[in-house]
Amino acid sequence: MSGWDRIRASGSRLGGGGRSRNSQTTVHLGRVQPQHPGHRTIHCNDREANLPVKFKGNSVSTTKYNLFTFLPKGLFEQFRRVANLYFLMISILSTTPISPVHPVTNVVPLSLVLFVSLVKEAFEDWKRLLNDRVINSTPVDVLQGQKWESIPWKKLQVGDLVRIKQDGFFPADILFLASSNPDGVCYIETANLDGETNLKIRKALERTWDYLHPDKAAEFEGEIQCEQPNNSLYTFTGNLITQKQTLPLSPNQILLRGCSLRNTEYIVGAVVFTGHETKVMMNSMNVPSKRSTLERKLDKLILTLFGVLFLMCFIGAIGSGIFINRKYYYLGLREGVEDQFNPSNRFVVAILTMFTLITLYSTIIPISLYVSIEMIKFIQSTQFINKDLHMYHIESNTPALARTSNLNEELGQVEYIFSDKTGTLTRNLMEFFKCSIGGEVYGTGITEIERGAAQRNGLNIDEVKKSAAAVHEKGFNFDDARLMRGGWRNESNAETCKEFFRCLAICHTVLPEGDESPEKITYQAASPDEAALVTAAKNFGFFFYRRTPTMIKVRESHVEKMGKVQDIQYEILNVLEFNSTRKRQSVICRYPNGRLVLYCKGADTVIYERLVDGDNNLKKVTRAHLEQFGSSGLRTLCLAYKDLSSEWYESWNEKFIQAKSSLRDREKKLDEVSELIEKDLILIGSTAIEDKLQEGVPSCIETLSRAGIKIWVLTGDKMETAINIAYACNLINNDMKQFTISSETDAIREVESRGDQVEIARVLRDWVKQELKKCMDDAQHYLHTVSRPKLALIIDGKCLMYALDPTLRVTLLNLSLNCTSVVCCRVSPLQKAQVTSLVKKGARKITLSIGDGANDVSMIQAAHVGVGISGLEGMQAVMASDFAIAQFRFLTDLLLVHGRWSYLRLCKVVTYFFYKNLTFTLTQFWFTFQTGFSGQRFYDDWFQSLYNVIFTALPVIILGLFDKDVSATLSKKYPQLYKEGIRNTFFKWRVVAVWAFFSVFQSLVLYHSTVAASRSSLNTSGKMIGLWDVSTMAFTCVVVTVNLRLLMACNLITRWHHISIGGSILAWFIFIFIYSGIMTPYDRQENIFFVIYVLMSSFYFYFTLLLIPIFALLGDFAYQGIQRWLFPYDYQIIQEIHKNDPEVSSRVELLEIGNDLTPDEQRSYALSQLPRETSKHTGFAFDSPGYESFFALQAGVLAPHKAWDVCRRASMRQQPAPPKN
Amino acid sequence: MNLKATAASSTSDGTSDSSAPRRNSKKPKYSRFTQQELPACKPILTPGWVISTFAVVGIIFIPIGLASLFASQRVVEIVDRYDIDCIPETLRNDKLAFIQSRETNKTCTRSLTVPMDMKSPIYVYYELDNFYQNHRRYVKSRNDKQLQSKKNENETSSCDPEANASNGLPIVPCGLIAWSLFNDTYRFSLSSKVLEVNKKNIAWKSDQGHKFGDDVYPKNFQSGGLIGGAKLNASKPLSEQEDLIVWMRTAALPTFRKLWGKIEVDLEANEQITVVIQNNYNTYSFGGKKKLVLSTTSWIGGKNDFLGVAYLTVGGLCLFLAISFILLYFARPRPLGDPSFLSWNSDPAGHMN
Repeated sequence: MSGWDRIRASGSRLGGGGRSRNSQTTVHLGRVQPQHPGHRTIHCNDREANLPVKFKGNSVSTTKYNLFTFLPKGLFEQFRRVANLYFLMISILSTTPISPVHPVTNVVPLSLVLFVSLVKEAFEDWKRLLNDRVINSTPVDVLQGQKWESIPWKKLQVGDLVRIKQDGFFPADILFLASSNPDGVCYIETANLDGETNLKIRKALERTWDYLHPDKAAEFEGEIQCEQPNNSLYTFTGNLITQKQTLPLSPNQILLRGCSLRNTEYIVGAVVFTGHETKVMMNSMNVPSKRSTLERKLDKLILTLFGVLFLMCFIGAIGSGIFINRKYYYLGLREGVEDQFNPSNRFVVAILTMFTLITLYSTIIPISLYVSIEMIKFIQSTQFINKDLHMYHIESNTPALARTSNLNEELGQVEYIFSDKTGTLTRNLMEFFKCSIGGEVYGTGITEIERGAAQRNGLNIDEVKKSAAAVHEKGFNFDDARLMRGGWRNESNAETCKEFFRCLAICHTVLPEGDESPEKITYQAASPDEAALVTAAKNFGFFFYRRTPTMIKVRESHVEKMGKVQDIQYEILNVLEFNSTRKRQSVICRYPNGRLVLYCKGADTVIYERLVDGDNNLKKVTRAHLEQFGSSGLRTLCLAYKDLSSEWYESWNEKFIQAKSSLRDREKKLDEVSELIEKDLILIGSTAIEDKLQEGVPSCIETLSRAGIKIWVLTGDKMETAINIAYACNLINNDMKQFTISSETDAIREVESRGDQVEIARVLRDWVKQELKKCMDDAQHYLHTVSRPKLALIIDGKCLMYALDPTLRVTLLNLSLNCTSVVCCRVSPLQKAQVTSLVKKGARKITLSIGDGANDVSMIQAAHVGVGISGLEGMQAVMASDFAIAQFRFLTDLLLVHGRWSYLRLCKVVTYFFYKNLTFTLTQFWFTFQTGFSGQRFYDDWFQSLYNVIFTALPVIILGLFDKDVSATLSKKYPQLYKEGIRNTFFKWRVVAVWAFFSVFQSLVLYHSTVAASRSSLNTSGKMIGLWDVSTMAFTCVVVTVNLRLLMACNLITRWHHISIGGSILAWFIFIFIYSGIMTPYDRQENIFFVIYVLMSSFYFYFTLLLIPIFALLGDFAYQGIQRWLFPYDYQIIQEIHKNDPEVSSRVELLEIGNDLTPDEQRSYALSQLPRETSKHTGFAFDSPGYESFFALQAGVLAPHKAWDVCRRASMRQQPAPPKN
Repeated sequence: MNLKATAASSTSDGTSDSSAPRRNSKKPKYSRFTQQELPACKPILTPGWVISTFAVVGIIFIPIGLASLFASQRVVEIVDRYDIDCIPETLRNDKLAFIQSRETNKTCTRSLTVPMDMKSPIYVYYELDNFYQNHRRYVKSRNDKQLQSKKNENETSSCDPEANASNGLPIVPCGLIAWSLFNDTYRFSLSSKVLEVNKKNIAWKSDQGHKFGDDVYPKNFQSGGLIGGAKLNASKPLSEQEDLIVWMRTAALPTFRKLWGKIEVDLEANEQITVVIQNNYNTYSFGGKKKLVLSTTSWIGGKNDFLGVAYLTVGGLCLFLAISFILLYFARPRPLGDPSFLSWNSDPAGHMN
């Protein structure tokens, strides 16, 4: 691929450059500037000038190899595997006279294995190449002469002027020059880069706004001096020199490759970085490849095998040293015999025999094991996981995706799940669901959580018939005829309603976008909660449609009848922004009639503190409503307002302006000033937004916890919200003993307000230490009580930071491992990763992280298995993950079905491989004892070389693909079966030892029986058979036995089993018929000639063939019978329970797969847990937009402000706030 | 079953296409393979199966075992070890010197009694012990090419140390195996009447016809200072040297029998056979035994009780296991699919099933 690049690059150099190469030295000499190592200088719209500086082309190659590097590089990769390297060495050794076997014995399997691996590599690389080609030949408009011409991306060069149309992707990193939008802005979506779907604004330099049309753009001459390509997505420094002016450039003018253009007809820009030098490509790091625990254990097994091999060779070597003697004159051991048989130096004989035996017994190391496992896992992931209809999400049209096939079986052993909350457990779709206005609850919907709770109490709530007034759109799911379509006018508290709606319509920082009609408008908001509130206002008849720096325009329709619509402009005087300490947001606005009002919304705790005295009844009722909402899993906000007198406001505003313009501690001062005005508020009511849990989450969590998996929620959200969701998901309930370690105590707040960092750290550390100790003691106490209540730990990020300190870490780990569920709130991405690796490394348990956003990436990479939620949010988490699924509930399928089966299959495959090679090699070993330890091979070279790759290769792969103990439905019905995986039941040393024991038994039977049966003549002709006849007989028995043993290991037998097992045995017979039927002119010994025909002419052959496999497998069969009878595995019981169930195909169900819960899920949902009290806490909704960077900063990670935030804040701050009157 | 399934799935594909009009649907296609719902039988190893399998195996194996044991018992075999007895008692303290000396008379007469009637053909075997024909150095010391055809006479690779004669010419047949060819001979007589021994057709036809060429004549064979064994008649092609062919089909074990000839007359019980042995072959240096074996055959070949005994043992064991399992069935009954055996149910703190 890169070779192809070079050709292309040189071609273009020749094509365009024949002329310029000359001109370069003559005409353009003055323009050729030496590139400063620190920057690059780009001449816009002038390819020739850029030529001397050989910028990289825009063609991108993600392939690993090209035609020439494929073999060396691919082989190098292969030989990094120990088994392959070992076989290479054995192959080399077997070309020396020391070897008892022909090189073919080891070379053939090795080359077959290498061939298969290389074909796989080539195939994958080819797919990458095709993908690259598609991307590289996507057309883009480039300015050539005075018009736009469409050229493929790969032809794009640095300095070109390009035009990108709406929804198009940027082909390179581009300097934004002009936009079809009037004010030189464009909107971009950066989902591919950081996973965020909200649009971001980029603004071109004013001076370049005009270069929009081709004729004008052709006149553009500019020189960009900028930094060298780097991988920092959020920084860019450079200057644009145009018309003798130097204009500074910022990230705000850079459009990065990978983003796409939205809501803008088209833009024009100049290419700055191309191809591999673009920021996104420089960011694409290789995700560190993970290896599964099973494979690591497999390494230990292989090492053990090496040990056994060494032991066998050692025994043989000693034997050979003792055996060798001149008395065996027929061996020709005269003076001058080669060292290996020289009786005068027995030590050398032993050493050399050691090497001989290593080559002879090399089959004990299963060479084709890795490639078989790889193949099995590859098919498992591409065919089974990716194509599972149970994991296909119809709404987002997303199937599951296994991004790596290394970890399939790891999915079957997960013990801890670390889950993000927003977007993972919940849909991150905020919907206005209920509200309480003036002490009256509106909204008749029933949340999923309420329904679940009711069902747990034995009530069955039917779906409430929606009234005709019900509206359901994005952000709004509300049904109450009393409010809809102006119905609120008839309510007793119509005035309060009006305040309520106005507060919703005015008090926010949302930007409207698109057509100014209620149907088409879209709201750009920092948090989906805000958008939901504004959407709600719109639906109640207060349609916010335009924002200017000083105005909010609302179209108010007050009556039912159409026509009476009023556009009202509210002057926005001040915005008191939301932040995480204030937990509220206020807007001061002036009505057209001069009324000055402060609208405020915020957390109930914060608002209640600031309410004016009086009307305690309303407060009490509203408080009750808040609790009710909270227990229904809704996110609540309190709304309040306050009329201001003009004078009071003026005096306050002066202080405000002063605070705003202060240089030191501005935020703090602003907060203080805000406190002055945000008091004596009048409560209007509260909103309740449903952050809908993803479908089936509670039942999924319930199933997973029955499977023995512990689920931890790690979220950046507030403690209240996190606890709320934890309740909703059944993670916490009131029967549990909850330990809460929170930094939100008065004492700590007080210390924090003093601002001494050292003091804060000390106090917090002591606090955390003390709390942890207390919790630990309590936990110990509870664990020793009879009832043994379940424990839950709730800890916030700040405390976690200290709890993760090396001195406290062990306590934290002990405490949390004793808890059934753990909720960590307000944690930074880094802490998410720290917690994950705490459990991974500290407790040595297998962990899985699941998340959807960029903030989950570190956690996803830290865990054994990373799962990304795909479909809705961006790609960042998915790109870092090992598996991507569309919905949290698909974890059930992924873990309980695919993971469990993969684990089961892989265990069987590995142990079976171990068994079949050990058995085969041991027969060889027993023979060694009867050959004077000379290392004579028992089997023909070709038998030995094809044993692993042909005669026993396919069935085990079939086993690895198709075996399943119980059906998918039962796997989910009995989640406890999963515990077998967590306990690693099927790949313990004990299991391996049982296989090894029977392997020894079988090899003894196989070898000694065949040999013993051959001591006399075999038929009436009286002729005797020789070594090769016996070995062919033995090999036939080995192939049959080993293949039949596989059949005994199967839980189910499909047509494929018959074909592969029958086929393997048949392949052996076909092979031996041909192989022994021919004489070849090649240099081989004709030992095997006619052997099989000689054998088959005797009863001995048939009798032995019937006896030996049955004799050999007798032990296994009896063991299996006794094991199943007396010590049954769980899955065996389940098999027996459902023995007579008809084979249910899920086909019909799958074809109509909807989002309804399956009956099984509903049942398990209903049965889930004991009835419980209604909780007494209120939900509280307000996502803080900046919390991630806030925490990241505290953790020492620089997370730059998002351009969007910067932009929005700037526009807010610019608002001139002088009073108008 | 399969036909029905494919038919159903093909129609269903049609319906699924129409019901999902979304153009770029990434919905995976249904197939029994990808959904892992291939039709399969699911054998469960119930006690019934275990018991009946054991019983069936036992019932089949015991008759086979009896039949082959019976056949083996019908074979009449006379085994006579002569390696020590054929050395005059005076020389027994240095057997090696006796056998290596060219002067000593190695003729030895043995008398065998026929225990039972022996139907012709009666096969004459020699049996050697402690002779590692399967030693790595020994097995490879031959050249199949050379044996096969005259044109490959000079191919003596892998024949060391018996590749070339002292004059540098290639030895035909080369290698240790041929060099150490067994050279004891036997003459049989029954009450002074000579029993003819047919030495034709004692080698496998495939060896004779393909591995040993009819144009290859022994050359320079046993011409060196050390004589390993028999000499060959240089005027007979290798394909007719059946003793060599038999010898060169190397044995699997250090104790082996090789066919020497056939006596094609019936012998009656208690008849005395006189055997005149030319005791030439040196097994004394490595302490190997030499035996002369006369044996008839039955349909399972020579006398070998192993198969019969093994069948009987396995069959008996199976019956025993079948009975044990039945007893176990009564001693420790476990209803199939008893949920109380589930690990989470035996856990006292477990939840509902």
